[in-house]
Amino acid sequence: MSAGLTRRWPTLLVALPMLFLLALPVLALLLSSSPTDLAAAVDHPLFLPALSLSARTSLISLAIVLLAGTPLAWWLAAAPPGRSRTVELLVDLPMVIPPAVLGIALLQAFGRGGLMGPVLMGLDLQIPFTTSAVILAQVVVSAPFYIQSAAAAFRRVDPDLLLVARTLGESRTGAFLRVSLPMALPGMVGGAALAWARSLGEFGATLLFAGSLSGTTQTMPLAIYTALESDVRVALALALVLGGAAVLVLVALRAVPGLWARQRSRGGPT
Amino acid sequence: MLIFSPRPVHWRPVPHLLLGALLLAGCARQSSAPTLQVFAASSFTDAFQALETAFEIDHPGADVVLSFAGSQVLRLQIELGAGADVFASANAHHMQTLIDQGRVHDSRIFARNALTLITPLDNPADIQQFKDLPRARRLLVGTEAVPVGSYTAEVLRRSAAVLGHAFAAEVRARVVSRESNVRLIRAKVALGEADAAIVYRTDAAATDRVREVPIPPALNVAADCLIGRVEGGALPALADRWTGFVGGNAGQRILAQHGFVVDR
Repeated sequence: MSAGLTRRWPTLLVALPMLFLLALPVLALLLSSSPTDLAAAVDHPLFLPALSLSARTSLISLAIVLLAGTPLAWWLAAAPPGRSRTVELLVDLPMVIPPAVLGIALLQAFGRGGLMGPVLMGLDLQIPFTTSAVILAQVVVSAPFYIQSAAAAFRRVDPDLLLVARTLGESRTGAFLRVSLPMALPGMVGGAALAWARSLGEFGATLLFAGSLSGTTQTMPLAIYTALESDVRVALALALVLGGAAVLVLVALRAVPGLWARQRSRGGPT
Repeated sequence: MLIFSPRPVHWRPVPHLLLGALLLAGCARQSSAPTLQVFAASSFTDAFQALETAFEIDHPGADVVLSFAGSQVLRLQIELGAGADVFASANAHHMQTLIDQGRVHDSRIFARNALTLITPLDNPADIQQFKDLPRARRLLVGTEAVPVGSYTAEVLRRSAAVLGHAFAAEVRARVVSRESNVRLIRAKVALGEADAAIVYRTDAAATDRVREVPIPPALNVAADCLIGRVEGGALPALADRWTGFVGGNAGQRILAQHGFVVDR
């Protein structure tokens, strides 16, 4: 379609500055590390503990965000606009507040001197400087990305379809599970991917709330920051490895809705 | 239904406007009056702010801009061509690397720093002297990649020799976080989230929100603080006057007030 292409190139021209800004730093990062640097990074004593901790914590955070965030997203989509707008603002706040400040806020909520301090002390639970603190920080910073996207996906589900499902004898839960959930799934997966990526990259709140100890609280971003203090090339190579792993998972997640749709269409008419 | 769909737009000025705006934003920095850019280790923050005030009174018209970060981050910024006039390092290694690269000249020691133990004001672990350190359930130290961390490791090595290996091993087991920013470590102690931390004396002196427990001189270190002129700086003469001021009587007095050990 050459006519379409010629009509599109002015759009591309307008889009180019942003594309350039986004691509240039990534390109610079790619060019900064030689294969020997990458090998040195993988051999670095901080690398494996940090990678495994990042993988574990970000997946647990994602599970918590999905389990606890989906009901909230569903409620937001169904609530009258007036009420949901206030709650939505609350959900958005962690995206606006600088992560380092969120880390202080988490300390003041769950730390020894924090609001929940006496309760947690009574249960002999210590959260700051533990792996739980890493997960908690990740959940707080990443949940908004998933909730917003899932709520938007639920809103796009035609209420008439739910009505039809109910008249055909589905319970409320049944209608949710068999109609809303499958229809909103692509949006939910997109939000989940964003939330997971945000957890993986989480730095500021983790540094303040969880600290940095190899194997316990030192996730990849914190290991990169620590490596930056001693050897820039190791830090760059570590960042490249983290970026590469993230790209793989994000591509895989993008592919899931397509596979799901294909499987459903093969399973029978919808 | 989509409300906004990305349609082909036949309006060319937009990219030019964007580029123009970017260029303008880039140029805006150049127009202000010349200022002396001083890159200083974060442990010098309070002392250097006081030095800046005194220097600007002595040198009307001179404008000193201080930029604080870890010595290694500042070194990296200078290596990447940041426009610094003066570099003040909390560690000899980073200064020496820059000197070897020909990026810093006339470096000299302007003060010495030592380490100290801090606890929250209410001292929950009841640490009265350095020997009590194993009582801490949560101890914060600097990571060995930063100067304060390598000095801390040295103090622990010396304490192993003097107070026994069991003592040093117990202390190391109490470490819950190895961080790169001393001020962040101090903040966590001030909040009561850690029972103790090992920081610079100057960091303890700059706040009344933590309690100081001295480290015995036999175990302590003398951390050299170095200052030098950065090659290619815009104001070499003013840079020399600043380093001279820091090493002079007035400067040394201010440094001593902030917990540094000075020669005179």
